[in-house]
Amino acid sequence: MDSQFLVSFGLILATFGLYIGIALFNKAKQTSDFYVAGRSVPAVFNGMAIGADWMSAASFIGMAGTIMIMGYDGLAYIMGWTGGYLLLTFLLAPQLRKYGRYTVPEFIGDRYQSNAARLIAAVATIIISFTYSIGQLSGSGVVIGRLLEVDVAIGTMVGVVLIAFYSALGGMKGITWTQVAQYLVLIIAYLIPVIFMSLQLTSNPMPWLSYGQIVGELQELDQQLGITEYVVPFTEATKWQFLALMFTLMAGTAGLPHVIVRFYTVATMKAARWSGAWALLFIGLLYLSAPAYAAFSRFILMDQVAGSAINNLPAWTTAWVDTGQLSVADQNGDGVLQWAEIVISKDIVVMATPEIANLGIFVIGLMAAGAMAAALSTAGGLMISISAALSHDIYYRSINPNASEARRLAVGRWSIVIATVVAGLVALNPPGAITQIVAWAFALASGTFFPALLLGVWWKRSNGPGVIAGMVTGLSVSLAYIFAAKYGGFTILGIVDTGAGVFGATAAIIANIVVSLLTKEPTQKVQDEVIDLRYPEEMTYKDGEVWIKDGTEG
Amino acid sequence: MKKVEKKVADDYFKLRTTLIIIYLAVGVCVSYLVVFFARDLSSITFNGFPLHYYMGAQGAVLTFIILLFVNAFVSDKIDQKFGIRTEEKTSISSGKTLDQ
Repeated sequence: MDSQFLVSFGLILATFGLYIGIALFNKAKQTSDFYVAGRSVPAVFNGMAIGADWMSAASFIGMAGTIMIMGYDGLAYIMGWTGGYLLLTFLLAPQLRKYGRYTVPEFIGDRYQSNAARLIAAVATIIISFTYSIGQLSGSGVVIGRLLEVDVAIGTMVGVVLIAFYSALGGMKGITWTQVAQYLVLIIAYLIPVIFMSLQLTSNPMPWLSYGQIVGELQELDQQLGITEYVVPFTEATKWQFLALMFTLMAGTAGLPHVIVRFYTVATMKAARWSGAWALLFIGLLYLSAPAYAAFSRFILMDQVAGSAINNLPAWTTAWVDTGQLSVADQNGDGVLQWAEIVISKDIVVMATPEIANLGIFVIGLMAAGAMAAALSTAGGLMISISAALSHDIYYRSINPNASEARRLAVGRWSIVIATVVAGLVALNPPGAITQIVAWAFALASGTFFPALLLGVWWKRSNGPGVIAGMVTGLSVSLAYIFAAKYGGFTILGIVDTGAGVFGATAAIIANIVVSLLTKEPTQKVQDEVIDLRYPEEMTYKDGEVWIKDGTEG
Repeated sequence: MKKVEKKVADDYFKLRTTLIIIYLAVGVCVSYLVVFFARDLSSITFNGFPLHYYMGAQGAVLTFIILLFVNAFVSDKIDQKFGIRTEEKTSISSGKTLDQ
């Protein structure tokens, strides 16, 4: 065991202790009338919690690497994942908050007055969250693999045990404040290396302002080497793929069950709007830094690693070669490592960066702790969604309505453990890079939930048969396109698997509208409930009239 | 409870919806439209970046953040104008939650 291992391990243990401590502390408070005191989560902290819930291993570990390798084309992830918050905060979150249910399938079941719709939504929640958690487990595998200097597959198995344990335990209560702590850990861990790199390379501690200069130098290096230029658009895929991917990520963001649920923890529509704004500000801190990471890492690799003698490479390369994520081979046998001879996995760029920039063992350890915070907080949120869909929406409301509290809890816990283990088995041999797997989850969400919620909130004529047709069509089209594009080489306008959501969402919206219009309109009660969502929390729509609270209700 | 005139309630909905459409249109311009014309914009330089790259890496995200804060702030003002008093103490369990 070397000192690097001890420092990283110590930091991870310390942060875990912090999360568990916070969870226990809040639990104790709740028994002393925490809720009865009527306090709710303030919007700023809810914003941080949404940020931690949202920023997964894909954002933390995968995104900068994706941009480094794809250049401009990788920026679709930045714009898509942030732009989704516009759709979410403008079109869905405040209204869903006013409707007031505990889970997204429950909203769909009640708004559309259909048990079948609720069951389909529950199944879709499980499929989406499951796909997403494959990406998380694969990410924690990268971190743990590097930490223990073992193969990523072994790291993934350790991650499965950790996440199953953490979610089954942490999935109880007090998760909001744990996620606030996780946000702070992950954002500090993300920003420190990029600020130091900025100082090293440009003598300016503000990476966001300074990396334009590096991007300029990269352009020159690219031209000297005669390789694909970093900033030139649409070199990796077509313009339509870029647009389709961006749409998929935006619509998927607005339809992800584990994120929407966080908007239920605030008290009012007003708080939902502010939560959305704070959340995107906190998320933006990381997303504005990712392209800086990508540019700095690529610059160091091209400027300092490429061109050095093959038997005189920096020490960090050996550790990453051991994990199977990096290959440096002198293919033409001239004793010098060329740029083209470095094959680096998208998923290790951020984790390797502190080592590439020679930032010392404490920063490397902090990165490991931050990456684990990102993977854990998102996995926790996902596992709660899976468990709520199984134990609440399917088991309790459809199979056994007389189930005791203890029995429902047991079903919830076991579903977490089983889901994590199965997702871990798939993640042992991941079917794609982390960001790609996660993009599939978004394609499925934009085909199922985005249209169902959008029409459910904004179109009172949409009904049960319509939403069932919409969700089934959207899910099938998204899934079929992902498989056809990934394994069958089928594409439309050069749109590949990650852009499937644009077809899923379009098909679902058309199916929902057509079937709704062909079948009976919803009951007056449901239509009134939908009109009620137009007005703020304090106004109520009843029998064609709008009422406002004026403080006389007592 | 006090009755709100239908016209006032409709005005509220119309004003909020119009603003949302404007915000979304701005959002579409800084993302989809910029990407669509990326090649044409790449000859313009901003702070060391080609403009299309700057918009993808920073410009669009900053615009989104500003839009959300403007919306939160303006919505509060509109609520005030329509006489909506946000209650200080609204418990988490308000709204029509079902019994678990």
